[in-house]
Amino acid sequence: MTQDATSRWLDGPVDLTTVSVQVTAPVLAPRNRGWWIALCASGLLTAVMVAGMVYSFESGVGVWGNNTSVVWGFPIANYVYWIGIGNAGTLISALLLITRQKWRASINRFAEAMTLFAVSIAGVFPILHLGRPMYFYWLAPFPDSHTLWPQWRSALVWDFWAILSYLLFSIVFFYVGLIPDLATLRDRARSKLVARLYGVFALGWRGSLLHWRTHRRLEFLMACMAVPLVCSVHSIVGLDFAASLMPGWDESIFPPYFVVGALFSGFAVVVMLAAWLRGALGLQDIITPRHFEAMARVLVAASIVMGLSYATEWFSAWYGGQGPDVAQLAFTFGGPYRWLYFIMLFCNVAASQVFWLRRARTDMRVLIAVAVLINIGMWLERMLIILNTLSHGHLPSAWRLFTPTLVDFAILAGSFGFFALLMLLFSRLLPVVSMHDVRKLLSEEGLA
Amino acid sequence: MTRYELIRGRKRPPTAWMPDRREALAMLAAGSAAALAGCQRPRETITPFVDTANEIAAGEAVRYATALELSGYGRGVVGVVVDGRPIKVEGNAHHPSTLGATDPFIEAAVLDLFDPQRSKTPMRGPVPTDWRALGEALRAQTAAHATDRGAGIALLTGRVLSPTVLKQVEALTTEYPDLQRFRWEPLHDDAERVGAGIAFGRALAFQPRLDAADVVVSLGADLLGPGPDQIRMARGFARRRRPESGPMSRLYAIDTSLTPTGVMADRREAGRPELIHNAAIALAAALGAPLAAPALPPALARLVAQAAGDLKGGGGRGLVLVGPAQAPEIHALAHWMNGQARAPVDVHAPIDPVAQNHADSLLSLVQAMRAGAVKTLIVLDSDPVFGAPPELGFRDALRHVAFTVHAGLYRGATGRAAMWHAPLSHAFESWSDTRALDGTASLVQPLVAPLYDTRSAHAFLAMMRPAADVGDLQRVQATWRAGSDGGDFAGWWTNTLAAGVVPQSAATPATVPAARLPAVTPATTGPGLTLVLRPSPRVWDGRLAANAWLQETPDPISKETWGSSLALAPADAEALKLAAGAAATVRAGTRLIQVSVRIDPGHAQGAASLQTGFGQVDLGPVADGVGANAFALRDASQGFLIQPVEVLAAGAARPPPATQHVFELAPADAGLFPVVAASDLAPAKPRPSPPDLLTPPNPAPIAWAMVIDTSVCIGCNACVVACQAENNVPVIGPEEIAHERDMHWLRVDRYEHPGGQGGFQPVPCMQCEEAPCEPVCPVEASVHDSEGLNDQVYNRCIGTRFCESNCPYKVRRFNFHDNQHWPVFGQLDARSIEAQRNPEVSVRARGVMEKCTYCVQRISAARRTAEKEDRPIRDGEVTTACQGACPTQAISFGNRADPSAAVNAARRDPRHFVLLEELKTKPRTTYLARAANPPDDGGPR
Repeated sequence: MTQDATSRWLDGPVDLTTVSVQVTAPVLAPRNRGWWIALCASGLLTAVMVAGMVYSFESGVGVWGNNTSVVWGFPIANYVYWIGIGNAGTLISALLLITRQKWRASINRFAEAMTLFAVSIAGVFPILHLGRPMYFYWLAPFPDSHTLWPQWRSALVWDFWAILSYLLFSIVFFYVGLIPDLATLRDRARSKLVARLYGVFALGWRGSLLHWRTHRRLEFLMACMAVPLVCSVHSIVGLDFAASLMPGWDESIFPPYFVVGALFSGFAVVVMLAAWLRGALGLQDIITPRHFEAMARVLVAASIVMGLSYATEWFSAWYGGQGPDVAQLAFTFGGPYRWLYFIMLFCNVAASQVFWLRRARTDMRVLIAVAVLINIGMWLERMLIILNTLSHGHLPSAWRLFTPTLVDFAILAGSFGFFALLMLLFSRLLPVVSMHDVRKLLSEEGLA
Repeated sequence: MTRYELIRGRKRPPTAWMPDRREALAMLAAGSAAALAGCQRPRETITPFVDTANEIAAGEAVRYATALELSGYGRGVVGVVVDGRPIKVEGNAHHPSTLGATDPFIEAAVLDLFDPQRSKTPMRGPVPTDWRALGEALRAQTAAHATDRGAGIALLTGRVLSPTVLKQVEALTTEYPDLQRFRWEPLHDDAERVGAGIAFGRALAFQPRLDAADVVVSLGADLLGPGPDQIRMARGFARRRRPESGPMSRLYAIDTSLTPTGVMADRREAGRPELIHNAAIALAAALGAPLAAPALPPALARLVAQAAGDLKGGGGRGLVLVGPAQAPEIHALAHWMNGQARAPVDVHAPIDPVAQNHADSLLSLVQAMRAGAVKTLIVLDSDPVFGAPPELGFRDALRHVAFTVHAGLYRGATGRAAMWHAPLSHAFESWSDTRALDGTASLVQPLVAPLYDTRSAHAFLAMMRPAADVGDLQRVQATWRAGSDGGDFAGWWTNTLAAGVVPQSAATPATVPAARLPAVTPATTGPGLTLVLRPSPRVWDGRLAANAWLQETPDPISKETWGSSLALAPADAEALKLAAGAAATVRAGTRLIQVSVRIDPGHAQGAASLQTGFGQVDLGPVADGVGANAFALRDASQGFLIQPVEVLAAGAARPPPATQHVFELAPADAGLFPVVAASDLAPAKPRPSPPDLLTPPNPAPIAWAMVIDTSVCIGCNACVVACQAENNVPVIGPEEIAHERDMHWLRVDRYEHPGGQGGFQPVPCMQCEEAPCEPVCPVEASVHDSEGLNDQVYNRCIGTRFCESNCPYKVRRFNFHDNQHWPVFGQLDARSIEAQRNPEVSVRARGVMEKCTYCVQRISAARRTAEKEDRPIRDGEVTTACQGACPTQAISFGNRADPSAAVNAARRDPRHFVLLEELKTKPRTTYLARAANPPDDGGPR
């Protein structure tokens, strides 16, 4: 709290009312051509994804680049990538809440929305990936006539539950945080219908002290549950690979390394979303350069952890001296995918180092460029985990390379379009910033 | 009215003039059942194989002995027939050419039977017609020859050894004394024939016995490669390559491109054909021939010196074999050397009654055609338009002939160029007889009534004579009745059919004088490259090119499928600026073909090699446009060497897709294919079992296990095709192979150790006791059974592919597409293929993982029999398809829990090793290391 009555985390003349005005304006008074253009563009990309998926369902997974040695391909990489993005939102929101980071107030809402959308997209890919996707529900324990149950030792069954529980939790967490703001929308609505609609979801929120106390307790408790859940989700995704005996996969470092990777890529997407929302919705006062600076610091820290993880992988392969692991390392650095690997290293380790400079941390162009690079790098990382190991397994006779097809790329590109579509809709239907958290921040800083 | 009454054909109620829903469904079902039951047993009585119970039950497999021909030579096989459908071919243990085993050609024959590309009806030009029209035209034509004693009739056949066909031809020549008969095989044995003439003064046939030879020297002879004699040769070789069962033989090989023989050799050097020629002279000189030894490159000279030392010393028996590409003088020289080395070779008079050279025969036919001396040309089961040298202009010469008719299983290029085409029946549809390389005769009995409107070669030949047809059975019986001693012919006939071989029919051994030393001069290497034509181990001379199984079989050496590239030495490729997979034009004089290039590190410099039989244009959707026709580079002499050829870069190509890309093992991976010196082998000491945290499996009365001996695996692919036939493995076509999605459950890996010997390693499922594929399957489709099999429950599989990604051996196969519909047949209706499918094996859907099951259906069948007889399954009672096919008996299979089982004897062998043992997957499939004589040690032991 500062003595000269300016907020550390908010800019300009912000008070309790202007927060509500600024945040609810895009929802309640929409007039925006740019939004419609973006919606059309993302809708088009979504159509590409749907077309790719329908074609895959219709023709079988043979329309992708997967082969007998590299049986996994884009869908699994996309899945790991999107679940990583999905991890970050809840983690950021919950972790910052528990650690009482006040700047959380400006970013937690859209970060959580990002989680919901990313996890939903991620959840599609394992099903799409199946040879017989219509039987995906066999992963669930349901009372079928053959009395068959899932095979509990398989990491894919763990995955199924991890994704499902994480998605359900994230929805509830998001919704709980949204309730006071839904009440604000209800109260500020200009038509009866809109007021009624938001009112239903506001669950009769009146802002009483009891409401607030219960709400704060619940939110804090859920945050305490969220952190281990977030760690478990991506750890289990890591176990998909680690619980195998393929060189380059069976490494105990995978679970923590996947969690950090998820945080890393997620934060990078949050930076991109923050930059977009700030510009597009005029939230410069609420999402300030200080927020970006804080996030840039997280990115540089995470990139160092990523670099450390890679180095640990190389070191343990070399130090272990096991034939297949050493061969895998040699293939990583000397095989046909090595340029992708070098690009990945640049994006994930080198690019963020620019944030040691204060000027870079506050320059929007640098921030966005690095965030994009990090996302390219993290997707490549997931792809290379699959490719390096499966292309260069234990028997040289089965060494085969992977060549993606147009359908692979269409579905990948389309998934970004679908994510953008969901974010665009979100920005028009719900407050992208948690108003009650910002108000709380204001009051805590003595500005209310 | 129930559906059952409807099917039985009871009367319908008068009111129901239209079928109701249930009836419609019943009719649909009845219709499909009728379609499936389309395979009928032949009308005549056919006799089950001697080793089976003589009773036929629905759904039970019945075995019939019969014979298949390759380039005219008969090979005794056993056809497995279920409910009237032949579904599998096995070797006949009583037959000297198959010895109970098979090769890929034999295994694939059953696919030809059901091949939708087969010729199904007589054709007059492009117009389908019928046999009556063809018969009338043929008889009208032959009747016109009554005046000229048949002088205008020419009959062109391949090599014909069938006594009945020969008798029919003889009858024709009696009727038309001036009828001219020509005999031509594109993969001929002219050099061998002339060479025998030089050495012995007359044509002779030779049967080398590799099991009796202590030292074998191959001079460009792919003695373990494809051909009518491959199984017998491979068996003989294998007998002397297991160090625990007696002293090993020693194999030296000089070949131009790497061949299975070169892979299996104790010492192999690459040499261009001229150098092989000179090496033969040098070897003869070293053995004491008064010939000036030509200079050889140092490596070759060392090999020749070492081989000569081995042939001379030690008191063993040596054997020198020469390839068909070498000059007749070199063949004669080899006979001389074999005389010096006391070679174990059986000699008898030639089985082929035609003494003329193949190349000369075809040349004189074309000359006669061009001269207008041929009015009527009958081509029986031969495809000269495809295989004849272009300068003969066979297609063009056909225009000089007033009446041309082609008879064949496929219409092919000649059938299209001829005026008439007569579709022949498959060997499994007709009565006939044949003779093997050693003269052993076999009766051919039909396993099924002809599927289409086809006739046998006998019936076709009989159409030329106005006499009433007597039927093939009577005709063949007449042939053999004449030769029998007049006793109980019916009994003789039944017994002979049941055994598959005619007793005492092998040729009588001939005694020959010592071979003369031929006059032979060293060869000089001309300018340009020397091209060697090699018989394809997949499509032979092209007559098997329509067979999709064979097209998709990986080449033993290059692992290419669907076509074959021109093989070049790395140095030559570099000089010609050709990269692997590049397109090139090969030019010999004015003849040229387009090929793709493969760089073979084991290839001789200064030479190129190309497989025959590809590059068809008129055979059907499977073969057409696949690869290049090597025969199109030949000149009229039809040699196997073409000198000089020019190879010119021609841009980018789509090379034949290969199933293996890395052959050389890095030192770190050397343990994947151990090669042990035969002299170093000590009896296995019981190794202390390493500490183990895994719970030992419950002891079960049956624990299936397999041991594969890499010492004798010659990479012939018989097991691969046998597995495909037995387990309904689909063909996916070149595009999908190029996507690296091959479906073979069993693959044969080939490895090379840098600077050392390599070998073949067949890899079926390892059936791991601690299978990595099992715990990762989320729906428990990959499960272990009580006998140790790693089973895949196809209808439970949802296609996560986690099992294959976690399989260290990569032996699981995923149906990326709806593979059972065989798009390789193009627009043709491929449903006839369904009749070949093994009814005991499920057909897998799209999106499902499949894999080797140790032929679990055969295990189940044995278990049923054993349980009926209230006894345990005997050792050797279950034979997997791959095991049954293997010419060298490299695979043993049985119950590991039975200490006396053969598989346990193999597991106690000091050469026993486990692939990727360090992963603790505890495979049930294990290997015996390749035993070899180290390249540098002394003579035979």
